[in-house]
Amino acid sequence: MRIKLSEDLDEEMKKLKEELANLKEQLGNVMERERKRGRGIYIDIGNRVHDYIEDVMEGVAEGIHGELEKSVFIGPRGVRILREKQPYRGEDKVEVSLPKTAEVMSALGHEHRLRILNELMSGGKYINELQEKLSEITTSTLSSHLNILEEAGLVVQEKVRGRYLITIPGRTAYKMARRVTRFLERRNQK
Amino acid sequence: MTRENYELDGTILKATEDVRLWQTEKGVVEINENTLATLITLGDQRRGYVFHGHGKLLVDAIVETEQGAIGRSIEKELSEPFLMLGETEEIQKRLTKASEEELAKMGYEQQKGFIDRAEDLCNQFFKKGRVHDTRLFNGDRGFIFAFQNEANKLDVLVSKGSKLVYKAMDMVFVSNKNKVLLKSQGEVVCKNNGKSVIIKKDKSIIINK
Repeated sequence: MRIKLSEDLDEEMKKLKEELANLKEQLGNVMERERKRGRGIYIDIGNRVHDYIEDVMEGVAEGIHGELEKSVFIGPRGVRILREKQPYRGEDKVEVSLPKTAEVMSALGHEHRLRILNELMSGGKYINELQEKLSEITTSTLSSHLNILEEAGLVVQEKVRGRYLITIPGRTAYKMARRVTRFLERRNQK
Repeated sequence: MTRENYELDGTILKATEDVRLWQTEKGVVEINENTLATLITLGDQRRGYVFHGHGKLLVDAIVETEQGAIGRSIEKELSEPFLMLGETEEIQKRLTKASEEELAKMGYEQQKGFIDRAEDLCNQFFKKGRVHDTRLFNGDRGFIFAFQNEANKLDVLVSKGSKLVYKAMDMVFVSNKNKVLLKSQGEVVCKNNGKSVIIKKDKSIIINK
């Protein structure tokens, strides 16, 4: 069973308005007292400030009221706050195909390929530099891994210089893979 | 600024070996043996060639940023006529007169066929006023290449020392030492001495200081 908070909020609003009226009165008294004492230069900007504060307070209160009505519910299990899902940029425009997702995930799904990405995170490298780091595999196997990464768009090769570079999606995918693994490891430890 | 009238030499030449016409760390243009060529003169000066045969264009239109690399390597087979303005001395040494058979291999019944195609390309290039003063691109100081693309327009590559501009149908790549600019597929990347700005398709901006 959901009970809307609007009634409670109306009451809160009334209280806030009363408090505001009190504050206005107190401020008026202070101003009057200071004026009588004649200390320094006192500029009375009077009701304009009060009106402005009142407007702002009412605007804020209405905003809070509206947001709370939309997203806070009290149920049998307590207070539930619903947050509107913020779509990622372009998410509603671009359809992500499952075969493409599988291709990217498959490209990430090998220790040697992850190690290649890790090496490229620190900057572009020639194949012989990568070969030094992955000395346990042959050059042809390394080339094959690089081709898979290139086809998935995670790595790009400079055809003139021959260097391999990690792309923006490559960097993101590598970080994401690490994050997911870390998350799962922590969960398993618990 | 001057604009000179070009002239094509009537003699058809062919490459006696594979020739690398231009090479920097960002790109390469090369032609294979037996590629046909005709000389372009501007104001009685040898200024370049129109080639037709087989060859290759490579441009590494890639920008390395903190976020990762953006762009791709352009790799094109040069099987259609293309124009080159620049150094001719070294190339001339590797060209010799082509025979009727060699012309026939490229699908030309006679010399006129090749000259007509070369003329079409030159008209397309020079009439658009792309080159106002070709003296700037003389000797070893620079090169201009113009390649016809699928839309029958010209992809242009200009290189002078460390400076490179490559403008194709779907991209613009400008590079000079540590400064690089790439506009491709709705994205723009500018890099200057390690600092980069990426303007993405969705108009979001990534700045790496």
